[in-house]
Amino acid sequence: MSEKVKKMVKITVDDRTIEAEEGAILLQVLLENGFEIPYYCYHEALGPDGNCRMCMVEIEGKKRPQISCDTFVEEGLIVRTDTENIRRVRRGILELQLVNHPVDCPVCDQAGECSLQDYYMEYGLYHGKVPKAEKLHFEKHLDLGRNVMLDQERCVLCKRCVRFTGNIVKTGELGVVERADHSHIATLPGRKLENGYAMNVVDLCPVGALTSKDFRFKQRVWFLTSTPSVCHGCATGCAIYIDHAKTKFEDDTIYRFRPRKNPDINGHFICDEGRLSYKALQENRLREARAESSSIGFEEAAAQMKKMVESWQGRIVVLADANLYIEELEMVQIFANRIGGKLHAPLDAYRDPAFEDAWLKSAMRAANAKGVERLGIDTSMPSSRGEVLLINFNHPAAGDVKARRQIDLLTHRPETFADLTLPIAAWSETSGTLVNEAGIEQRCEQALFPNDPVPTLMTWLEAWDLGERCLV
Amino acid sequence: MTNRVKTVPRYNKTAKERLYLPAIFEGLKVTAKHLFVNVADINAVETLEYPEEQPTDITERYRGLHRLTHREDGSIRCVACFMCATACPAQCIHIVATERTDGIEEKMPQIFEIDTLECVFCGYCVEACPCDAIRMDTGIFSVTGKRREDFVLTKEQLLAHKSAFGEDTSRA
Repeated sequence: MSEKVKKMVKITVDDRTIEAEEGAILLQVLLENGFEIPYYCYHEALGPDGNCRMCMVEIEGKKRPQISCDTFVEEGLIVRTDTENIRRVRRGILELQLVNHPVDCPVCDQAGECSLQDYYMEYGLYHGKVPKAEKLHFEKHLDLGRNVMLDQERCVLCKRCVRFTGNIVKTGELGVVERADHSHIATLPGRKLENGYAMNVVDLCPVGALTSKDFRFKQRVWFLTSTPSVCHGCATGCAIYIDHAKTKFEDDTIYRFRPRKNPDINGHFICDEGRLSYKALQENRLREARAESSSIGFEEAAAQMKKMVESWQGRIVVLADANLYIEELEMVQIFANRIGGKLHAPLDAYRDPAFEDAWLKSAMRAANAKGVERLGIDTSMPSSRGEVLLINFNHPAAGDVKARRQIDLLTHRPETFADLTLPIAAWSETSGTLVNEAGIEQRCEQALFPNDPVPTLMTWLEAWDLGERCLV
Repeated sequence: MTNRVKTVPRYNKTAKERLYLPAIFEGLKVTAKHLFVNVADINAVETLEYPEEQPTDITERYRGLHRLTHREDGSIRCVACFMCATACPAQCIHIVATERTDGIEEKMPQIFEIDTLECVFCGYCVEACPCDAIRMDTGIFSVTGKRREDFVLTKEQLLAHKSAFGEDTSRA
């Protein structure tokens, strides 16, 4: 590497000395060191734009307050972030941001995670000088396509969405039209948002201007709990938050997926398919055990499974889903060895070249395909010669294997029931580790704790007393 | 154990305090006064022969059964912001929000239910409401029903409740 080694310099912020890289963006350095600086237009992935003017700080030697997103760290910089003058400046800028804001927080989905609300509580002039009747009106609840709703009145014109579509996905559907206080965000006439990453603008929008049509009015955000997890849509393994709530009137339900920052994999974003995959995850779940078509209790099901496996004289084939956590896969591997079965995890069933793109989407639509390879599991399709007992751990292509007898352990309700069907907890209801395409291991926490949980894969295998094996 | 024993000084040192009875009579003074007055004139006893006799002292500040207020055009005022459900200490308000299509607002409740068996009538929902959409000025103080479900007030029931003190539309 011919690049210069990054030079670290010392700066003083509010009488605290901090060390930072020379030339770094001051706002980012301040945020990373725990200073509370209000800002709208700056975003780590989009860079500074300098249009919102909220991130003002005082810098010694400069006549007026400066925006910290356009100030770069240099040796001996003396910064003050919380003086009376700075608060006055921020209050003034915030007042301008709120001039035409409709203040319709009761119907706004952003309420509770809105920067305007937060800064207003912190710095606000609690009595606006512009009467509601004199405010300018724009289009409200405009459907931009791709599950994004636009409310032009709530916009603070930070242009994060414009920069995202322009600089990151490079489709450039959004822009600012008209001038002065008539300016607003819009698409070109007749055009809609048309890229597979469009819903990221909902997370980028610091206010309620861009909201998700999918999440619209479903739940208030302060009821949601965010659990760190990993998207199971493809082998990229984007880091996400599962936002879920267990209210008094409803069981633990996922309301949305949000991207979680992981600079090594997905940065700050996820694709729309992945974001909406929570629906398929919780729809049509299998919750009871079945012997052929009649429903049976869990204890009886476990006993039947053991009996079926132990009394079987012929070949045993075990199929494992490549979306299972590595801990689960390892347990299945031990289980297959114990009962003398041959373990397969055919990966061809997950290949979807139509899904692939140059950014986050991978053609391998199984979250733990790399983990399967790491454990040395056979990834070919098993041959179905002779009398076969098939034990299927949620593999989607199990129907292609001809078997005399079949035990299914499934998360979702199948079209036809096998000889024995046992429900297993979905990935959101258990925790474990995934290895993504690039070989990065990521931990997923258990998000959902349903009122009537179905047993995990591990629980069903307890009957064989395989021990407490775990890779991590 | 010994270091946990704390010796508390005794204060009733005077003869009057040690006699004990003066304090008892002091405490019974109000009770005794009522006893003599009531025995002298039995009709002056302040009791209400409920339910034949109904209370007459329900004022505007009395927290009765809830109602959902209306707009000037008679439609529902509530925009399903969940402030009442958030503030409710008994968690007895169940709201499901939906899109409002008549152009007056964007959002309204599809379901708005109050379980009056769980409600503690604290009035926090009324305080929390940013739209003056829920009030407790109906003056209704008793709910009857044969099943538990009868006590869960639906949106329609809450909208049908009238204010006991005039002024039906909300002030928001």
